[in-house]
Amino acid sequence: MAVLSQFNPPADLTELAADDLPGWSARVAQIFGRFTRSGDFPQFYDPTEVDTPDDRAVKKVAWTAFPARLTVDATSDRERWALADSDRQRQDEYCEWSVSRDANGRIRRVVFTSEVPEYWEYLFEADGDRLTELYGEMFGRSVTLDALAGPDGSYQRDNALNGSTAGGLAHLIQDTNNLGAAVALAATATILREDDGRPVTDQQHLVRCGQLGEPDRNSDPQIAAAVNDLAGQGADITLEDPMGLYIDGLLTGEMEAPGGEDAAEFWTIERGTQDRTLRASYEVPEGLGFTVSDIRIGGRPIEFGAQLADHVQVKLTAIASRLGSHSPERQPCVG
Amino acid sequence: MAVQAVADESCAAFDGITSPLEPRAVHRFVVGEDAGPTPMSAEAATQELGDPVAALLFLRGRFPRTAAELVDQLRKVADGADPLQQHATFVLGEGSQVAFSDDTATVDRGLRFLIACGKPTEPDVIMSTPAPDAPFVELMAWDRKGGGFNFYRTVDGAWVFAGNSRAALVAPTEGKGPFDSHVTGNLLMKELRKPWIHWHSSAGHMIDTVFALDDPRRRHDWFTQRQGADVFEKTVARPSIRRWTEARFEASAGPPGRVMKQILDTSTVNLIASHTESRRALSAGDPVKLPQTFFVDSEALTEVLGLPAPPALSVEAQLYAAALARFEFTLRAAGGFSQPGDSRFAFIVPERAFEDRVALEQAIDRKLVTPRLAACLLMVDFANPVFSARRATLLSHLPEAADEDLSQALAEAILAASKEPAAGAAELEFATLWAAGDDWPKQFGALLNRYYATLPSRVASRTSFDDYVRLAESRRQRVRKMPIFENRLLFPETNITPENLEMRPDGTVVQGAQT
Repeated sequence: MAVLSQFNPPADLTELAADDLPGWSARVAQIFGRFTRSGDFPQFYDPTEVDTPDDRAVKKVAWTAFPARLTVDATSDRERWALADSDRQRQDEYCEWSVSRDANGRIRRVVFTSEVPEYWEYLFEADGDRLTELYGEMFGRSVTLDALAGPDGSYQRDNALNGSTAGGLAHLIQDTNNLGAAVALAATATILREDDGRPVTDQQHLVRCGQLGEPDRNSDPQIAAAVNDLAGQGADITLEDPMGLYIDGLLTGEMEAPGGEDAAEFWTIERGTQDRTLRASYEVPEGLGFTVSDIRIGGRPIEFGAQLADHVQVKLTAIASRLGSHSPERQPCVG
Repeated sequence: MAVQAVADESCAAFDGITSPLEPRAVHRFVVGEDAGPTPMSAEAATQELGDPVAALLFLRGRFPRTAAELVDQLRKVADGADPLQQHATFVLGEGSQVAFSDDTATVDRGLRFLIACGKPTEPDVIMSTPAPDAPFVELMAWDRKGGGFNFYRTVDGAWVFAGNSRAALVAPTEGKGPFDSHVTGNLLMKELRKPWIHWHSSAGHMIDTVFALDDPRRRHDWFTQRQGADVFEKTVARPSIRRWTEARFEASAGPPGRVMKQILDTSTVNLIASHTESRRALSAGDPVKLPQTFFVDSEALTEVLGLPAPPALSVEAQLYAAALARFEFTLRAAGGFSQPGDSRFAFIVPERAFEDRVALEQAIDRKLVTPRLAACLLMVDFANPVFSARRATLLSHLPEAADEDLSQALAEAILAASKEPAAGAAELEFATLWAAGDDWPKQFGALLNRYYATLPSRVASRTSFDDYVRLAESRRQRVRKMPIFENRLLFPETNITPENLEMRPDGTVVQGAQT
């Protein structure tokens, strides 16, 4: 593999016109540039500027979509599920969901997304027609560009359609669920840390020591620790193109449908691919005569979208190459 | 071939096999039934072994010596659509956070790979091995004819069948051989819930440097493509435990009252810890969030029976740090390795085993036990969620011929005993709880809430928190005597004198009854 010619759209989506692809690549390169041009992170590189050799190590980091912070603080399953379903700002594991219910309150459909808002902002600027078309497809109604803009005329991530936990969503909106945050985390995690003369490798400790996000999340500490471990081996590190956070599937191990159907059949990838899923839904076809709420997980009927989020996996892929090419020195904690 | 008799009936019985075994045979050594390992005839194996490993490999004359060979051979012989072609790998080890160096080269980290083959929702084959090419494999394979898992292990690369899950529930095999630790014939995942203390997981990344640079395991696919404990929990452990428990109840395997032992006694445990890393608390001064099941069996009382959950309880980092210093918390391993401090995640303690929770759910769903009886039994000595000697005494009232109305018969037997002049504390407590009648959710909720109200101030006090540290150590001490304690690095060691401590409903800790 040589130097990457450009950053590709998340999951290699094909909806951008050829003329718009360089613009997206430039947008991602700008995010990388904040870290690669400062000289503060010598092990982190932009793959459109530096070669990634074929013998690279590919490190998938996967975690559960359900917000770990709620697991830590809640004292019962019902409490944490209800909290997670109540507010997209609580869904802080680079995956958010929205629940649609029928007139009886039964869950009809749950949609999950890991699409970064930067891409949608770019679509707003580059191809407004395609953006409104996408919203129209996702929400089943016609949408104007004005409805998606904030008071200053720019794209509003948490617009009236995309801000809710009910009725559908388009992409991530939680404050730290974005590509910039993920790249920042990967870049800053390349710095090795020591505390009181001892290497810092425990992941929450590392996050606190290096100010690498939120220590009680599933995602941040694990990404930080995986990258940091590679950095400790003297590697050059980047993230896999196409840049993005991806849904890594639904674990249906404890799921039981009422008629013995395979519970995995109701999971549908709506955007992206099997390997790089950006949006997926869980919905029982109407003809089967039951709803998502009739399916049990661990013996309990599904009352919350969060029960599914407990079983949804999210992933990010880091790339390490030229192991041993750096001899990094450990830095003291900054947090 | 003469049978080598093995006297040991524990899970260590297999280590006592010294005579060479046939490398191209499956031996039967079901401890309690067999004096020692004997090669099984093809006819006997066909009749007794209904799992896919036996069907696809052993009965076709294939005897892989290692886990890697087994995975490879399964992939070759299973037909194209057979999910046995798929496998997922996981890694754990009590010393998984001890980086390799000259100083730590001899530390027994207990590192092992777990490999699950089959449907990603319900794998039929689960193996454990210290290395892909090691001639030591422990294997569980679902018996598609008779249900339950068939337990196997290798002895110097030769295969030994050690019994089916059903044997865990009945004499003369109950508690013997593999069922010494797999007490109900289930898969064991000691650290089944977050933070999966010693596993590679989303809560704890396992560092590559746990292996020496030239250790082939470090570059092996099973390590580089390992999945987290979160995935193992949801796709292997919980489904497997539910699978066998449901099958067991469906087939009425074991005596009907056997489930009461799981409700009232603590024959095995899971391990839980704070979600807060010890070093994070010590370095950043973040409070340590204590595991709620240290205080109450909320898995059964809250999640199954709907009673109130305890409050979230945290101890200030300063108090926690002082306790670690005062009680000289240290991780130690054979060979002189010593590291001051707690486990990676603070405050590791035993909690009700998930297999016992599922058994309770099944018993209630199948109306073997009413929710009221379950609640009355579990509320006896509720402040001691595990190792309650008082609660366990109620087992003595289990009717011998309990069948259709186990709940009624057991309740009546305990109530009758409570009226005797020599009635024990457990019987009297049960009788008081039983008197709540249909109002039990409200009255038990009030009892729990009264207890919960005492806890926040005690956790904030140095003296009381120290008591909780001593109580936690007392419970860990009990686990050290269980067969699931396989590696010294499982728990930190302390200078606390072993004692049998109990929690009281006012949140104080006292000396318990001698056991």
